[in-house]
Amino acid sequence: MIPLLFTILAQNFEQRGFIDNSTTFYPQTALNDPAQIVNETLFRWEVSYKVTPWLKLSGAVDATTDTHQQVERALRLDFDDRSIQRPAFSLRRYSATLHKGKFTAELGRQFIRWGKADILNPTDRFAPKDYLSNVVDADFLGVIAARVTIESGNNTYDLVWQPWFTPSRTPLLDQRWTVVPAQAQGVTLDDLGARYPGGSQYGARWNHVGSGYEYSFCFFDGFNNLPLFSTTFDAVTNTAGLQRYYPELRLYGADAAVPLRWFTVKGEAAYFSSTTPDTDQYALYVIQLERQVKEWSFVGGYAGEILTRAGNPLEFAPDRGFARSFVGRAGWTIDANRSLAISAAVRAAGSFTRFEYSQTYGQHWRATAALAWIRGDMTDFIGEYRRNSYASLGIRYSF
Amino acid sequence: MNRLTLLMLAISASAFAQDPRQIIEEVQKRTRSNSQRYAGTLEVMGGESRIAIKKWVFERLGSFGQSKAVLRFTAPAEVKGVALLIVNHPDRASDQWMWRPNIGRDQRIALQDRSTRFFGTDFSFEDLEERDVDQFDFKLLGDEGGAWKIESRPRKSSQYTHSIMWVKKDNYTITKVEAYNKNGLARVIDYRDFEQVKGIWTARTTEVFDVGRKSHTILKFDKLEYDLPLKDDEFTVQALRRES
Repeated sequence: MIPLLFTILAQNFEQRGFIDNSTTFYPQTALNDPAQIVNETLFRWEVSYKVTPWLKLSGAVDATTDTHQQVERALRLDFDDRSIQRPAFSLRRYSATLHKGKFTAELGRQFIRWGKADILNPTDRFAPKDYLSNVVDADFLGVIAARVTIESGNNTYDLVWQPWFTPSRTPLLDQRWTVVPAQAQGVTLDDLGARYPGGSQYGARWNHVGSGYEYSFCFFDGFNNLPLFSTTFDAVTNTAGLQRYYPELRLYGADAAVPLRWFTVKGEAAYFSSTTPDTDQYALYVIQLERQVKEWSFVGGYAGEILTRAGNPLEFAPDRGFARSFVGRAGWTIDANRSLAISAAVRAAGSFTRFEYSQTYGQHWRATAALAWIRGDMTDFIGEYRRNSYASLGIRYSF
Repeated sequence: MNRLTLLMLAISASAFAQDPRQIIEEVQKRTRSNSQRYAGTLEVMGGESRIAIKKWVFERLGSFGQSKAVLRFTAPAEVKGVALLIVNHPDRASDQWMWRPNIGRDQRIALQDRSTRFFGTDFSFEDLEERDVDQFDFKLLGDEGGAWKIESRPRKSSQYTHSIMWVKKDNYTITKVEAYNKNGLARVIDYRDFEQVKGIWTARTTEVFDVGRKSHTILKFDKLEYDLPLKDDEFTVQALRRES
């Protein structure tokens, strides 16, 4: 009887996960960070259980540590990712999904991704990231929200309410992915944490799939998950205090995908306005082409920005930092186990190029070697990281 | 049954047998089902050694040109949860979306080049497409070992210039396909381990040999079911996200 019960329960239970160890080698020291080798280990376990045909519970937990103090050493279980350092143990996801006919609702901590482009997603506003280890290839963070999706024919309506703000996690001030300007050398930087906004955020998206094309329009009203910084300066101790704050943000966006005979064209654009004083107002847009030729895939395009009002220059905004660039990616599937990828963001004042080779061993193991080359001027968002070119080696066991 | 009836039946069967298009139509008719589900196992072999194994669950609703299908990978562990939604159209290329759990987003995929290998195996995406009789011209080349040998030439663009297929006379099953491109023989696909499931003769094992790469891939069907009650709302982009 008990084995039968377990068998029935197991049919509705799914799980997957991995343990990943990666080492990054930086040939150059940074002015605020002498470390040249960083090792990180991450264990991730994702589970889901279908209680009934209309109710599914999902959860995910992360356990992580590193050699560079990006991860907290405190033994606590985090559930909202608001800490400046990455928590050692966190509930990455906990949500319930209800589904009936054309109606789907997901409640709890979840991942919400909007947009159709692959090189930059200006409309992806419910998707904060963890930029602690790397501003280029950052992992997404979940948000605590209620999401309702209604499907009607070729149309999908998506309504999101996020009552609890989740910020993107920015690089630590005393580490290499925070670039200290030359004129601030000798000044002690004091991290004063963050002021999180109260109030909720909401958004709506309408997606239409037509005959050979697809488009959507979206609206978001809430806060930017990327911070501005307010500063204080103590001349006696020669210390600058920096505190993160998150401006109000309203977004009007659209995206489209049109598969053509030779290329698939994808575009995405959003206009951002804010009532918070001293904030920028701007538009971000992406136009990209993609094509597959046998075992090669190519994605290339241009990410642009139009600034309509200039505000606070002290901000951390990788989404805007990679705009005004030609961005591309080429991937080659060598065989069922091996792949090679080259990605690049290039403009006059800065460039980022990354080569990655990946190979699986058996059913569970994958090794990945990467080489990133960053060049440019200190005045450029990409170029300012020119001392952060790196080589990395990762090994992952998936289960 | 009188002699005249027998004679008429023999004449009509003979005439029927000489029309390759009608033979293929009969193949389609006998394999038609409203829905299908199977658990697939793919073994990719380089030379004599196995270099990769992939598993998935496949579900299809509708048939021949107007179907929808979802393919969900279950192994290896790192691709568990990756899913592909294919919406076929009778008059144009299929719409496809892929769901990758690690990025939490669906991505529209357009296969301008259907000769792309299917997830690094020896099957191309085109090899796994449904073949509608109206998309080909057929020519009967003769008989061979109790099977009709039929040449098919695609009417629309294809990586192949033509294919030769063998159709068994006793049960109208396709047992082998040789696919040629402009350089000659490109792929050989063998169908074997036939079994009747809900009255449909189905090959439990399909093996493709890539002549150029000298590698082969074996696809095995397990837990095969036809005409099961699948719902339309299980074949949407939202369903990819919901079931990930």
